[in-house]
Amino acid sequence: MEARTAPADALDWRRPSGRLRWVRRAQVGAAVVPLALLAVAMGAVQGSAAIGGAAAGGLLVAGLALERVLARRVGAWAYAERQDDLLVRRGVLFRRLSVVPYGRMQYIDVTAGPFERSFGLATVRMHTAAAASDARIPGLPADAATRLRDQLATLGEARSGGL
Amino acid sequence: MTSGWRRLHPLSPVVRSGRHVFALFVLVVLLVVSRGQGSDVVVDALFLGVFVAANVVSWGVTRWKIDGGALRIETGLLRRQSRSFPLAQLQAVDVVQTGVARVVGLAELRLRMAASGAGEGRLACLTVARAEALRRELLAGPAVPAAYAPPAVPAAPFPGGAVATWVPAGRTLFEVDTSRLAAGILLTASGAGSLLVVGCLVGLAAGGVDRAVAGAAAAWAIGIALGVWRRFNGGYGTVVIDGPDGLRIESGMVQTTAETIRRGSVQAVRLVEPLAWRWLGWCRLEVDVAGPRQRKENRSEGGRLRAVMPVGTRADAGRLLAELVPYGPAPVHRPPPLARRKAPLRYRFSGWGGDARYVVASDGRVRRTTTWVPLAKVQSIRSVEGPWQRAMGLGTVLLDTAGRRVHAVLRDRSAAEVQALMATMPDLARSARAVSEKPTSSISGPGVGPP
Repeated sequence: MEARTAPADALDWRRPSGRLRWVRRAQVGAAVVPLALLAVAMGAVQGSAAIGGAAAGGLLVAGLALERVLARRVGAWAYAERQDDLLVRRGVLFRRLSVVPYGRMQYIDVTAGPFERSFGLATVRMHTAAAASDARIPGLPADAATRLRDQLATLGEARSGGL
Repeated sequence: MTSGWRRLHPLSPVVRSGRHVFALFVLVVLLVVSRGQGSDVVVDALFLGVFVAANVVSWGVTRWKIDGGALRIETGLLRRQSRSFPLAQLQAVDVVQTGVARVVGLAELRLRMAASGAGEGRLACLTVARAEALRRELLAGPAVPAAYAPPAVPAAPFPGGAVATWVPAGRTLFEVDTSRLAAGILLTASGAGSLLVVGCLVGLAAGGVDRAVAGAAAAWAIGIALGVWRRFNGGYGTVVIDGPDGLRIESGMVQTTAETIRRGSVQAVRLVEPLAWRWLGWCRLEVDVAGPRQRKENRSEGGRLRAVMPVGTRADAGRLLAELVPYGPAPVHRPPPLARRKAPLRYRFSGWGGDARYVVASDGRVRRTTTWVPLAKVQSIRSVEGPWQRAMGLGTVLLDTAGRRVHAVLRDRSAAEVQALMATMPDLARSARAVSEKPTSSISGPGVGPP
């Protein structure tokens, strides 16, 4: 019963897998590296290799900055299971905390994009009847994600109520 | 009534084509006006013929019945579709009559379901008597949760200053004043804007321009006039009746809609006071009912919430609020004075209040909106802390209800209050839910699993 009223900071917060940082790095790399190569190639063709190199360097620096931002975002993501609801915390600039009662979950999605899949990760997303209650947890190891989904579904069934 | 399949009324194809026939007629007239000569009338007639034929086929393959606590509708020629609408999840029933339908005495029945993916159940068309009987039968399902019956406590003042009074069941709660409705539409920003545009177009036409420009301007003017007309028609003659099977809202001049909302299925109530209306002491009252809001045919209604009161005085609003949110709280908790620096316009209207059953929050920059949310209907609770807010030690709490648009926004509260709210609100919502669900354990919620 004590978990019911436990304040948000006294909870057992869990975090996405550390591999999620590598997923984000891979995504940034996949976007930035081909562009940088293209810039170098264009520069070489146009006969001004210095400009091409500078553009590529700028792109790489921007990519690195983006990587830092995304890494901080990954670090800010956390979730905690209480007796009757799930808490999801995220965001660096805009800090968000969502409380979703298990009884309000309509269905739960487990999705994995190509990047996440290649790192063996998946995203769990809870849907309620409200479109705005955006509770998703990215970067869970695939088996942990399915376990969480089943667990949430069981909890939801036990507590589900009418609208 | 409950055994065997039933068909829709044989005149349904005519009624369903009616709107399109009218639209085509307008189009042809416009073409004739702008070109001076009707050219594609044969092609248009061909299109119309195909359309009517499709509607006839659709009528021929559609059948419905009530079976085991659910309304079943089977339709589709090539792709047979059998849909079942469990009556326990029914939130509201609309009886809609288009202009053509009224001439032949038919009506369309629309079912609003709780589950977001369920879509909309439509029966177009039935005779008016059959539609009304079916509506009563559909709504006679599970009992009303006791939590929504008004408790015996003294009246509390509502934010407008008027005192809420309890009106006995089966009585008319509100009737719209037509001249006030017209004035109210013109006094909103969009109404005044369209008046201005139409005025400019008329001026241009009077100034003497060539045919093509006049045709284009006429198309614009018709479009704008249609938008204003839809709003006027939607609000015209609005009557709210506290009926035996729920709150009944009737409105419309040409196309009439009679909506019956189950007592326990109101997800949120919103009081809207645009700038010009506030000077006159007018306001609009809207209710949100769970279910999909997208409708092709009636976009004016689908785009906004259902207005229980399109325009009315504060006293009218107080009477309706006493019905919809019996003895609901007033937004008395003001944000800390620091919030004025962050949002000077919003600061004037921000505030929240709450008791064991409802949370109310007011918000807005120019127009004030006050939203009541029953705690038993809260789907999720969120807090957001933006960079400016963090620097000032502020935060915002949002209570989400089913649907897309409506949240109670408790804006710019102090960080300590946000933390306290996030700690207590889930428990309050849970106990409110437990109270409201006790008498109706037969209502089964949407299952958890893949959609």
